[in-house]
Amino acid sequence: MQIIVPVIEQVRVARDTYRLRLASPELARAALPGQFFMIRSPGLTNPLLGRPFALYDTYLDDGGNPAGIDVVYLVVGKMTGLMSTWSAGDRVEVWGPLGNGFPTPTAKHLLLVAGGIGNTPFLAVARAARGLRGYAAAAAQKRVDNITFCYGTRSAEYLAGLDDIAPLGVELRLATDDGSRGHHGFVTDLVADWLLKNTPGDDAEQPSHARTSSRPPAAIFCCGPEPMMHAVARLAEQHKVPCWLSLETPMACGFGACFSCVTKVKQPGGGWDYRRVCVEGPIFPAESLAF
Amino acid sequence: MPDLAVTLNRLHLANPVLVASGTFGYAREMAGFVPLARLGGIIPKTITPLPRIGNPPPRTVETASGLLNSIGLDNDGLDAFIEKHLDYLLGLGTAVIANIAGHDRDEFLRMAERLGRCQGLAGLELNISCPNVSGGVDFGVDPEMTASVVRGVREVCGLPLVAKLTPNVTDITAIAQAAAQAGADAVTIANTFQGMSIDWRQRRPILGNVVGGLSGPAIKPIVLRMVWQVARKVPVPIIAVGGIDGIDDVLEYLVAGASAVQIGTANFYNPSLAGMLIDQLDQALASAGCQNVREIVGTLQIPQR
Ligand SMILES: Cc1cc2nc3c(=O)[nH]c(=O)nc-3n(C[C@H](O)[C@H](O)[C@H](O)COP(=O)(O)OP(=O)(O)OC[C@H]3O[C@@H](n4cnc5c(N)ncnc54)[C@H](O)[C@@H]3O)c2cc1C
Ligand SMILES: Cc1cc2nc3c(=O)[nH]c(=O)nc-3n(C[C@H](O)[C@H](O)[C@H](O)COP(=O)(O)O)c2cc1C
Ligand code: FES
Repeated sequence: MQIIVPVIEQVRVARDTYRLRLASPELARAALPGQFFMIRSPGLTNPLLGRPFALYDTYLDDGGNPAGIDVVYLVVGKMTGLMSTWSAGDRVEVWGPLGNGFPTPTAKHLLLVAGGIGNTPFLAVARAARGLRGYAAAAAQKRVDNITFCYGTRSAEYLAGLDDIAPLGVELRLATDDGSRGHHGFVTDLVADWLLKNTPGDDAEQPSHARTSSRPPAAIFCCGPEPMMHAVARLAEQHKVPCWLSLETPMACGFGACFSCVTKVKQPGGGWDYRRVCVEGPIFPAESLAF
Repeated sequence: MPDLAVTLNRLHLANPVLVASGTFGYAREMAGFVPLARLGGIIPKTITPLPRIGNPPPRTVETASGLLNSIGLDNDGLDAFIEKHLDYLLGLGTAVIANIAGHDRDEFLRMAERLGRCQGLAGLELNISCPNVSGGVDFGVDPEMTASVVRGVREVCGLPLVAKLTPNVTDITAIAQAAAQAGADAVTIANTFQGMSIDWRQRRPILGNVVGGLSGPAIKPIVLRMVWQVARKVPVPIIAVGGIDGIDDVLEYLVAGASAVQIGTANFYNPSLAGMLIDQLDQALASAGCQNVREIVGTLQIPQR
């Protein structure tokens, strides 16, 4: 669906980071956590292409019906710089929702891992998993017992949306490169620590809670810069925890026509093939990717 | 309602708005945006004899009002095209023009022969101009090689033939002339312009393939000039493609001498455009007082000073 929609509001949520609210019941009714939208300024040729942005969340009208979508973005270049000048009433071109979205969690404990602006998909993921909101016509349903959110940025002033996600009963574990808040170091350190304490080691007995239930004890959903996702994928593999990665590959169309957004995906017979992230992803099981 | 049908020698189209190879996937990807049956024609992504993995990413980068790409003809090869995509395409109710590229003349001929035997294709576009495939011969820069491929394909394949030309030549009229004399029903002007993009801070090229092809609104004036030059000099129908962003661009190309147009990069950033242009063309022609689209083709007047 390609439509032109009005900006409802633009709110600064962290350093160089804004939440853009767009009115569109159609988009809001269709979107799943982990899906994305292409956004551009209609009629402009510089910037020319749409840019992909994850669904941050739907927003509801007074009657509780989906009324529009929020995206949260970090200003890094031409389009995001232009977006930061938009204000209420400006008209924006959007197509979507696009991509596959995160799978419905089947684990007891969901570990969400974000680096930088990779935090954006996780508010809706947490709300859905907690059973607080239904997406794309599905009824709200509680899926997991616990959610831990490991989130790292360069420094404290870039941490965005903590006030949105914390009230959902999500345990926050923060890291900053400069130590200005939380762990002084990488978010992957937090992930390693959590996995060590919460999953059986390679040669351990099955833990008691796994024996009494068919649900796997934990699963990881991760989004951020590629080296960080690679590290998280390795940790997940070591601890035998299923892990999904949401890739931030640059895109020109978002719907499969241009073949520019490719990543290496392992093939059944061995080796790899370039696959389009916008239609086969952006979310992939970590073990399916050939980094 | 003006008559939109156009005839380019043996190629008959319900209207002159087509979509360009490599910018429309295999049409499935666009079904949610464009009423496919209304298009004048669909040209799917270039097919090569064998699967090609394509170039390493990044494969595209935006430039001022343009797009540089080095996709590298990523495709699953001719067999997969026939098995996976052809039936779907032929069921869409519009003209489908397959686009092929070979490394040598023989590869072009073998693919053309095979596709010529597939019932239902409206024509064949020969991509003798892709700038992103190293190692292959660049037929499109040489009039004799262009003629040799076109002539050879005509002998083995009964489909209407379109030669897609590269703009990366000194004199595109010479190539168009060669293609026409060898039996091309039409020429497509043009493929992308070679270019590059650099991240100077890191002293690195941005594209994985170092260089790529420039498309989008930035190239339109240059392609318009080429269309006009060929139209004046060579008696061959022209399909214009380069930077079309709206209905005025379509009419400019028609006035310059093109019989039909293709929408390319705009399919990425305005995916419903191609479908809307057909209605807009209808209105624009009606308001210009034209009974049919042929009346406006090649009507450029140069004021005498
Ligand atoms: C599925 C998906 C979801 C996304 N969701 C969000 C989101 O919710 N919020 C958000 O802020 N961003 C998100 N992104 C990234 C966002 O699309 C880019 O930041 C945006 O395209 C930059 O546009 P620009 O014109 O401002 O930058 P440009 O001027 O195009 O580029 C500026 C600089 O950023 C680099 N760059 C551009 N795109 C990317 C990229 N995708 N990854 C790494 N570097 C890049 C360029 O190389 C350049 O150095 C997402 C990307 C994908 C693929
Ligand atoms: C991403 C991309 C991929 C393309 N792939 C092909 C291709 O496979 N075969 C081909 O003949 N032309 C290909 N082209 C060229 C277009 O068909 C067209 O000739 C060119 O982009 C100019 O038109 P435009 O400015 O409207 O895009 C490609 C262009 C782009 C941008
Ligand atoms: S962004 Fe165009 S195919 Fe994925």
